[in-house]
Order: sequence, then structure tokens, then C-alpha cells
Amino acid sequence: MNAAEELKKALPDAVTKIGMQCNKPEATVKKEDLLDAAAKAQELGFDQLSVITGVDYEDRVEVIYNLFSYENKHNLVLKVILDHDNPEVDSLTTLWKGADWLERETYDLVGIKFTGHPNLTRILLPEGWNGHPLRKDYDMETEQFVTIGEDGDDVVSTDGSNLLRRK
Amino acid sequence: MQTDELLINMGPVHPSTHGVLRFKLRMDGEIIKDCQLVLGYLHRGTEKLGEMKTYQQVLPYTDRLDYISAFPNNYCYVKAIEELAGIEVPLRAEYIRVLVMELNRIVNHIVSIGSLLMDLGAATMIMWGFREREKALQLFEMLCGARMTFNYIKPGGVREDLPEGFIPKLNEFLEEMEMRIKDYEQLINSNEIFLMRMNGIGVISAKDAINHGLTGPTLRGSGVNHDLRKLEPYSIYHDLDFKACSRPEGDSYARYMVRIDEMWESLHILRQVVDTMPEAKVISTSKYGVAPMTGVPSTVSTYFPRIFTPPAGEVYTRIEAPKGELGFYIASDGSTKPYRVKIRSPSFCNLTALSGMVKGLKIPDLIAAFGTMDIVLGDVDR
Repeated sequence: MNAAEELKKALPDAVTKIGMQCNKPEATVKKEDLLDAAAKAQELGFDQLSVITGVDYEDRVEVIYNLFSYENKHNLVLKVILDHDNPEVDSLTTLWKGADWLERETYDLVGIKFTGHPNLTRILLPEGWNGHPLRKDYDMETEQFVTIGEDGDDVVSTDGSNLLRRK
Repeated sequence: MQTDELLINMGPVHPSTHGVLRFKLRMDGEIIKDCQLVLGYLHRGTEKLGEMKTYQQVLPYTDRLDYISAFPNNYCYVKAIEELAGIEVPLRAEYIRVLVMELNRIVNHIVSIGSLLMDLGAATMIMWGFREREKALQLFEMLCGARMTFNYIKPGGVREDLPEGFIPKLNEFLEEMEMRIKDYEQLINSNEIFLMRMNGIGVISAKDAINHGLTGPTLRGSGVNHDLRKLEPYSIYHDLDFKACSRPEGDSYARYMVRIDEMWESLHILRQVVDTMPEAKVISTSKYGVAPMTGVPSTVSTYFPRIFTPPAGEVYTRIEAPKGELGFYIASDGSTKPYRVKIRSPSFCNLTALSGMVKGLKIPDLIAAFGTMDIVLGDVDR
């Protein structure tokens, strides 16, 4: 019995589908039950959260969590499917502190809201940036300019008029 | 005595931040109360670029993530493609891949230790380190013409076979390196100032380290002996004799020592690889059919078509890069371009734990603890 089946057995209502991500067992979880499923997985020995990936599929958004158990050397992939226009899912920061930045990055680049995250702000792009670049409908035509504001923080604008230019 | 809190802005351009990283420090006198990191000054949108290029065109971008050790980046991306499409790799190519990756690990640790010592105010080590690094870079140049951005490992194998005279030069380097690492240890290991700056600084417990998602030498410095080369052996690592190095203390000195130990292990691996390297044989078959008979038949790579469309699906693959666990997630929709590329970079994830580690320390200790995390900003910001 692989890890996804074990999770299905423990939480039959939360897990909607079992499959494989290439060679890793994958469990698709209802988005309301993600926190429970992740806590259960941690109980089963999955102590490392390796990565959080958000993928925009145009009709839906998927968030994929790759877990690993150092003790049993097992992999487990959790997947939640979210609404395309208003993707929202529970944050896992209470279970893994490492989820903090990974979720911020996913919010920043894919635009997924993690409810319960202590500080859900942009991390790679400056605050005030328009759009989430890894969305398929991201506007690539509009140029955005970043200048340094009063207190050293970045200021984003769409006209280049306030850029410093050499005369 | 009550004093006002002071906000200090450190970076983005600061010699000890190893690139463009900014710390926002809230200080009570000399004590760090809170440390926030501001990233993104080197964000180039590699993941977005990945969606707009074909599979082969993404490969050169991976060199520019962790530019100190680019071979593991190359390899991990290629490994993801190979897993996705089920491409077989000739054994000799796997040996060459491990050879260059371990050589790169030594280079990475030299730079890491050198710049750590320089941050602490001792310039000798970086001069010594760069002297040896130069020799390794010359070997890389001999191999693929580039010194830092290689683009050498490709799906199905490697670009070219080892050039004539490479192995003797490598053996020379290994012999010299053995002497040099002894020199480094003599110079640094029991230096009193170094010990005072390192011992007990930036401590993180094993449980916290795992919970924060630390990997690589930074994790193993906390007494957790986890190495992906052992846990999920890839390439030819299951045939090689080596051990994962760890230290129980969890402080900066432990992380430094793990890197020294790993250099010894890498030398040991390199010797085995040189000794057991299989003979060069012409490769003629592959899943994608026989190569068109133009050009020279290859000894180190199976045929990889110019217009490459892997089956639709998802893959996440990870390796033990010198800085920690490097992972590539690729979602394919069956077209010539990846639908989504996600890079799990070791530097980014290791940095998560830094602000917790330095609370209550002084600024010079922040520099010491930060130096032993061994990050590269190209890898953090992507």
C-alpha cells in the first residue's frame, strides 16, 4: 500500500482521487480538507515539505505539495484544485515553518491566496506590482518600472517618467 | 537603561550579502531584535522564461541560477526531462556527469569557505581557494569551453566526450587538492578567533531544521544525516562508496566542518569514478530512433530529436546539489514547450530559517551565521 492509499484509508472523505505524479504517489484532496490531510500526512511520518507549486490551467488552478518522509524514505504528493478566478486555500505554515516563503512565492507569482498565512506579501517582486506573472493571462505588454522610494522601499509605476535619466 | 529601537538597512549592496540581498534589522543597541529579508533584486523570471522556450532552450538558463556550481543545475533539469520522457542515458555519460558534479561540489565549497572567512576579516583563505578553483575551472574549460555557465549536460547524455589529456590533468588536481584541503584545515580549523566567531553562533536544532525545510550541509550541520545521494540514489551514486557527513552541534562551526568533510568525500568519489569509468563506445540506438547519419556518431549521448515533444504529464525530481536539495517540477502538455517549470532552489529554502537563527545576536554574528548558510542570490531570486 503506498502513501496515497494510506491517506485515503485514513481520510476517505477528504481524498477524492489517487494517482501518480510520474513515479510518486499522489492524492488529490478537497480544498477544505487540505489542512487535515496535511496534518495526517505529517502524522504518518512525512516530515519534509519539499516544495509548493502553483500551476494555472486556465479553467482551474492547481497547487501541488511535494512531501517526503526522511524516516521511511517515501514520497507523497498532495494536490488541491482551486477555482480559477478566486483561488484560495488554507496555509500550511502552522505545520511546516518552511511553508512560509514557499507560499509567499506562490502567492506572488501565481496569485493564490493562502488563508491564515501570517504575512502574505510579495517576496520576489516588489510590493505594488500589477498581476501575477505565472498566470497564463498575465499582461506582458504593459511595461512596469521600479524606482526607489523615500524609505528605500520599491515603488512600482507604469510610466517611465519618474526614472532617473542621465542628461 | 531604556534605549530607542533602531532600524538598520543592510544591503542590497553590501560585501557580505554575497550578491544583492537586503536585511531590515530592528536593533536594540547592538542586539538584533528582528531581521527581515528583502529579496528579488536579481529576479529574472526564469520560470516564466521556461514557459516561453522549447525544452532545449531552457537549459542554458539553468546555468545562471546557481552560477557557482552550474553542473548540478544542468543535471537536475535534464534529469526531469529524462524521467518525463523515459530517455535512457549511456553509462559512460552518467560517470562523466557525476565526475563534473563532484568536481563542482569541491569548487562550491572552496568558494563558500573562502567568502565566509573573508566576511570574518581573514583574506588568506579566499586567495588560496581561488588558486585551486582556477585549476578546476580550467578543467571545465577543457571539457566544454566554458568556465562557469557550461550548458554541457544535455538530455540523453553529455555534449562531448572527455577530451584527450583530461584524466591525467584531473588526477594531478586531485593529488594537489588533497594537500590543499589539509592546508585549509591547518589554517582555519583550530584558529582561536575563528572558533570564537563560529562556536554557538546561529544554532538551529535538528527538529527545527527539518521543519524549516533546510537541506544540504546546512541541515547536516544540525546532526541530521540526510543526503539525497543516499536516500534516493540517482545516476551512479548507488555504486559508489562514500558517506554522508554530518555534525551534531547545529552551530556555524558544524556547518563549516560539514563542508570540509564533504570535500574529502568528493575527492574519494572522484577517484572511484576515474578508476571505474567505462570505455568509450559508439551509441547507436535510442527510444527516439536512430540518429540521422550526419555528423560524428556519439559515444556519450543517445539521440535526442531537435523537435522534442515529451508525453503530457508532471514530474518533480530533485538532487543533492552542493547547497542542498535542488528540485525541478515540470508540467508538460505534450507540446514543444514546458507548460510550467518550477525551480525549488536550495538557497531560497535555506534562507527561510535565517531570521529565526539570528535573533538576539549581534550584527557581526549575523554575518557569520549567514556566511555558513552558503547561498547564491542567482539561486534565491531566480
